[in-house]
Amino acid sequence: MLPPGGSGAAPELMRSAIDLARSGLPSGTGQRTLWRTAPWIVIAAIFVSLLSLLPLAFIIWIAVQTGWETVSALVFRPRVGELLVNTGLLVLLAVPIAIVLSVALAWLTERSDLPGARLWSWLCVAPLAIPAFVHSYAWITMVPRLHGLWAGVLISVIAYFPFLYLTVSAALRRLDPALEDAGAALGLGPWRVFLRVVLPQLRLAICGGSLLVGLHLLAEYGLYVFIRFDTFTTAIVDQFQSTFNGPAANMLAGVLVSCCFVLLGIEVLVRGEERYARVGSGAARSQQRARLGRATIPGLLLLLATTLLALGVPFVTIGRWLVAGGMEVWRFDEIGLALGQTLFLALAGALLATVAAMPMAWISIRAPGPLQRLLESCNYIVGSLPGVVIALALVTITVRIALPLYQTLFTILVAYALMFLPRALVSLRASIAQAPVELERAASSLGRPPLNALWSTTIRLSAPGAAAGMALVALGIMNELTATQMLAPNGTRTLAMAFWSYSGEIDYASAAPYAFIMVAMSLPLTWLLYVQSKRMAGR
Amino acid sequence: MSFLEISGLHKHYGPVAALAGVDLSVVSGSRTAIVGPSGCGKTTLLRLIAGFEAPDQGRIALDGEVLANGGNAVPAHRRGIGVVAQDGALFPHLTIGDNIGFGISRGDDKRSERIVELAYIVGLDKAILKRRPHELSGGQQQRVALARAMAMKPRLMLLDEPFSALDTGLRASMRKAVAELLEAAGITTILVTHDQAEALSFASQVAVMREGKFSQVDTPRELYLRPRDRMIAEFLGDAIILPAKISGGFANSPLGRIPVDTADNRDVARIMLRPEQIALKRTSREGMSGTPDMLFGEVTESEFGGSMCMIAVRLLNSADPPDAAAIGNTPLVLRKPGMDAPAVGEIVRLTVLGKAHVFA
Amino acid sequence: MRYALSTLAGAAALAVNLIAGPAMAEDDGIIVYNAQHENLTKAWAEGFTKETGIKVTVRNGGDSDFSNQIVAEGSSSPADVFLTENSPAMVLVESAGLFAPVDADTLAQVPQDYQPASGKWVGIAARSTVFAYNKTKLNADQLPKSLLDLADPSWKGRWAASPSGADFQAIVSALLQLKGEAATADWLKAMKTNFTAYKGNSTVMKAVNAGEIEGGVIYHYYYFGDQAKTGENSKNVEMHYFKNQDPGAFVSISGGGVLASSKHPKEAQAFLKWVTGKGGQEILKTGDSFEYAVGKGAESNPKLVPLADLQAPKVDATTLNSKKVTDLMTAAGLL
Repeated sequence: MLPPGGSGAAPELMRSAIDLARSGLPSGTGQRTLWRTAPWIVIAAIFVSLLSLLPLAFIIWIAVQTGWETVSALVFRPRVGELLVNTGLLVLLAVPIAIVLSVALAWLTERSDLPGARLWSWLCVAPLAIPAFVHSYAWITMVPRLHGLWAGVLISVIAYFPFLYLTVSAALRRLDPALEDAGAALGLGPWRVFLRVVLPQLRLAICGGSLLVGLHLLAEYGLYVFIRFDTFTTAIVDQFQSTFNGPAANMLAGVLVSCCFVLLGIEVLVRGEERYARVGSGAARSQQRARLGRATIPGLLLLLATTLLALGVPFVTIGRWLVAGGMEVWRFDEIGLALGQTLFLALAGALLATVAAMPMAWISIRAPGPLQRLLESCNYIVGSLPGVVIALALVTITVRIALPLYQTLFTILVAYALMFLPRALVSLRASIAQAPVELERAASSLGRPPLNALWSTTIRLSAPGAAAGMALVALGIMNELTATQMLAPNGTRTLAMAFWSYSGEIDYASAAPYAFIMVAMSLPLTWLLYVQSKRMAGR
Repeated sequence: MSFLEISGLHKHYGPVAALAGVDLSVVSGSRTAIVGPSGCGKTTLLRLIAGFEAPDQGRIALDGEVLANGGNAVPAHRRGIGVVAQDGALFPHLTIGDNIGFGISRGDDKRSERIVELAYIVGLDKAILKRRPHELSGGQQQRVALARAMAMKPRLMLLDEPFSALDTGLRASMRKAVAELLEAAGITTILVTHDQAEALSFASQVAVMREGKFSQVDTPRELYLRPRDRMIAEFLGDAIILPAKISGGFANSPLGRIPVDTADNRDVARIMLRPEQIALKRTSREGMSGTPDMLFGEVTESEFGGSMCMIAVRLLNSADPPDAAAIGNTPLVLRKPGMDAPAVGEIVRLTVLGKAHVFA
Repeated sequence: MRYALSTLAGAAALAVNLIAGPAMAEDDGIIVYNAQHENLTKAWAEGFTKETGIKVTVRNGGDSDFSNQIVAEGSSSPADVFLTENSPAMVLVESAGLFAPVDADTLAQVPQDYQPASGKWVGIAARSTVFAYNKTKLNADQLPKSLLDLADPSWKGRWAASPSGADFQAIVSALLQLKGEAATADWLKAMKTNFTAYKGNSTVMKAVNAGEIEGGVIYHYYYFGDQAKTGENSKNVEMHYFKNQDPGAFVSISGGGVLASSKHPKEAQAFLKWVTGKGGQEILKTGDSFEYAVGKGAESNPKLVPLADLQAPKVDATTLNSKKVTDLMTAAGLL
C-alpha cells in the first residue's frame, strides 16, 4: 500500500485513535507513578523517540558541517528552483483534485443509495494495494508518451486518492445526521446542507488525508521516474547515484524536509484548534442515504471511471505483460528468492516497528501528558519524512560513525521501523485503549511484577491491534524501494528491487511477475486497512 | 380550528411498522406532548412532521397546506418547521452566534441584532456568542438550539426529547422556561418524550403512543385520572388497580365503598386509584376495635427516600369479604411524604379520597 | 514446490547471512560490488564458480554510487572486487588508494590500451558512444557531425540522454579531458536547454524508437541487446557512430579491480583473472551483453562494428575525473 519512501499512517486514523484513547478509559496512572512502576518502559519510549529524531539531527549536522557558503551554493541554484516549482505544482494540483474526487466518491458510497455501494467502497480503497510505481509502469505501457507534470498529477491522484477517500469516508460515516436534519429544518436545501453543514465538518478529515497524500507525493520516487518528472526525491536519488552521500544530495534532502515541514505547518494552520466531534451525548441515529434518482447513472459512471483508471489499467497491463512474457518470465528461482527475502524483511521490520512502538503506545494511553505528547510527536514527524531522506541519513551515519552496522540487516530494519513507526503506533494505541487498566492492576495485585503484569494482560489483549499494525508496516516495507536500494545488505533483492531493475532495462514482461506478486500480497493487507477504518468509524 | 392535521399516517422500515395509522390534530398556539416508551414510533412521527422522511401513507397538513400526502412530501427546508433535537445538534464548526444565525440570511442587515435578541430571549449571555458549542453546558446548548430554531420564526416547533440529556434539577426549570417562552411567542409546539411527568406538565394535550399508534389523546388531567386502559394508567404513574362491583355511582371494592366516575352498573369491573388518593392516619390495634366499616392496615415496609417514602401497607380487614384474603396478601404500595411516614409495624387507618376510575 | 523451496531458502539464507553479519558471508566466498549489467556479471560469477568452486556474492548498483561508497567505506569495505561499466569510478577508487595491484598475469591478458599504467585495475570490457536516432525522423545527412554540435540551438528539444547515469557522465568526463573545463561547462549549459532527460539508456532508446524524440546519446549495446530479443524498442532506431576522434566517438573502458582491504585477495585476483581471461571474454562474445571484449586475442560479437573501426579519440582512462564531472553537471542544473 505505502509505496516507496512511504510515510506514516493516516493522521485522521491517528486522531481517531487518540480521541478514542482520551474519551475511553480514565488514564489512571499519572506520569510520575508510571516512572516508579515501569521505568524501563519510559526509558524505552524515550530511546525510540530520540532515535527517530536521528535523521533530522543528521541533516542539521551535515548542514552545519558543510558550511554556509557551500550550503547556499547548493541550495540557491536554478536546479533547486526548478525542482521546487515541479514539486510545488504537483502538490498544488494533485491534492485538490484528489480532495474533490475523494469527497465525491465518499459521499456516493457512504451517503447515497448508489447500487452496490459497499463493493464500490472497497474498490475505492483497493488501488492502495498497487504500489505507486506499478501504477506508473501500467500507464507508461498504455500511453508510452505520457510524461511531465500532468502525467504526474494524473497518476499521483490515481495512486494516492484512496488515502483521502479512507479518511473522508470514515468521517462521513461518523457525522451526526441530526446536524443535517437541523440544517434542513433551518431552511437549507440538500446542496446547501452539504456545503454549509457536511463539508465544514469534513475539514479535519480532508486536512489529514491531504497531508498524507502530500507527504507521499514528496516522498514518491518510482512513479515519477517512469514518466520523467523530476521532483526533489528523484533528484536526491540521482545525486546519490552520482556522488553517493555527497553534500548536494544532503542539501536537497534538507530542502525536501523543509517542504515536509511546510506541509505539516499548513495542515496545522488550516485544521486550527477545531473540534468537530459530536457535541452532547446520546447515540447518533443511523444515517439515511440520499436518493440519487436520475443522478444514479452519472454517479455510477464516476465510480466506474475511477475504478477503470485506478484498478483496470494496472491489472490489464500486468495481465498483458504476463501473457506476452509467457512462462519464460516466471524465473521461479529468482522470484522465489526475492519473495522469500521480501517476506523476511517485511515481517522482521514489522516486528521491530511494533516492538519499538509498544512502550510509546502504552504510555500515551496510560499516562497522557505533555511529556508523552512531545515524545509521540517525534515519532510522527519521522514517519512523515521521505524514505530517501531517512536512508541517506542512515547511510551517512553508519559510514561515518558506525561502520560495522553499515549495510547490515540491522540498519535496514531500523530504517523500516523509523519510517513505519506511526502505523504500528496508531494500531497499537487503539487496541491498548480497549484493554482496561484494571486488568493490569488486578494482575499486579495478584503478585505479578509490573512488566509481567503488563505482558499477561494489556499486551495479550492488544495482540489483534498489534497484528493489524504489523500487517500495515509489512505492507509498506514490501513495496518500499528507495530506502531498500540504498541500505539493503549485500545479496538482497526484494520484489520491488527486482521489479525496478527489470523495468529500468525496459524488460516490462520480466517485471510483470514481480508486480503481480506485490499486488497479490498487498490486496489482503489493504482489505485489512479497509476493515479497520470501518471499525474505527464505529461500524 | 386545528392547525396541524395528521390523518392515517403509516411508515414502515422494512418489515417493521414504525407508524401504523396515526391521527392527530393540534390547535394553533397549543402545546402537545407525544409520550411513549422507546421504540413506539414517536420519533418517526416527529421526523415525518419535520419532513426528514416521507410517510408511506397518510396525510399531514399544516395551516391548511398539505405537507405530505403519501410519498408526496414537501422537503424539510420548505416547511418552516423548527426542530430542537435531543442533544441540540449544534454545528460544532460554528460559533454560538453563527449557530443561532444559521437560518437567517447572511445578507440580512439585522442578522447580528436578531442573534443578540434571540440569545436574550432564551436567556443566554451575549458573551457566549463567540464561543463554540463544546464549551457550553448541556442546558446552554439546548437554549442555543432553541434560539436557532426560533430564528426562522417557525409556524410549528418540534421538540425531540430536548430535556432528556439534562440533569434532573435543570430539566424541570428548562422545561418551564421553554414552555413559557414558546407560549409568549405564540408558537405551536409538539414535544416528544418518554418521560410521562414531562409530558403531563408541559403540554395542554398529551398523546400516548404505543406500537405505532396513539392509544389515547387527551388533556393531562383526563389522561392521568381517566386512562383508557391499565397500560396507559401504569405508564403515566403508579396505579392501584382493584376488582370491583359498580352500582349507583359507587364501587364495592376491597377498599370499601368508593365513589366512581361513571353512572353505569356493572357486576365485574376494574377500578383504578392513584396512590395519592389513599390517605393514611396513624392509629393502634386498640383503635381498630368497634369500627367495622373502617379500613385498617399494618405497615410492613418503609423505605426512606428523602422527600417521599415508599410505604407498603398490608390490609388487616376489608369491607368486601370475597377478596379479602387476596388483598391481605398483596400489600398496597404508597408514596407518602417522608417527614412523618409511619414506621414498620405501625397500624394505620386508610381513607380513599376522590373518585375511582372505572376502566371501560 | 520448487518455488516454495526457493522462497524458503531465500528467507533462510538472508536471515542467516545477514543476522550473522557480513563476516559470515565473506567466509563463504567473495563479494563483488557490481556496476556492470546484472546478467553479464551473473554469467561471469556462475562461470567462475563452476570452474573454481569459489562462491561469489554480487551486490548490484551503479558506478558512481559504488565508487563513492567504497571511498566512504574505506579500509573496512566488505567488497573484494569492484566491477564497473566506465573508468571514472575506477579512477576515483584508485586515487583514494583503495585498490591492490592487479596480478601481473591478469594484466598480461589485456592490451596496454585497456589498462592504466598504474596496474591498479584492468579493463574487462568496452563500450562505444553512439547517437541513436529514429530513422523515420532523421536522414543520414541531418545527423550531427560531432557530439559538440548537439549544443547548437538548432538541436533544441530534439535529443535525449540519461544524465544521472554513469554512462553519460563518463562521456562527459571524456569531453572534459579532450576539450577542457570551460568548453565542457558551456556544452553542458547548452545541453540543459536543448535536451530531454530520461532515466536510463534503455529508456532513451525506447523514446527514440517511439519517435518521442529524434535521437539520443547512449552506448552501442542497448541497440544490439534489444535487436537480439524482440527488437520491439529498436525497430525504428539506427546507430550513428561519430568516429573522427570526436569526443562522441569515446570508447569507455569497463574496469575491474581488487580492493586492498579484501580479506580474500587470492580468490578476488582469481576472479579478475577469469573475467579478463578466455572464459570471461568468451561470454562477451557469445552472451547477450554485446559489449566489446578487450582481452588479448579475444573476439567481440561479430554483429558489432569492430572496435578498431570506431576511430575513438585517445583518452587517458586514468585521469577521467568523475567528481569534477558531477560538480559541473550539478552546476549546469543537470543533477
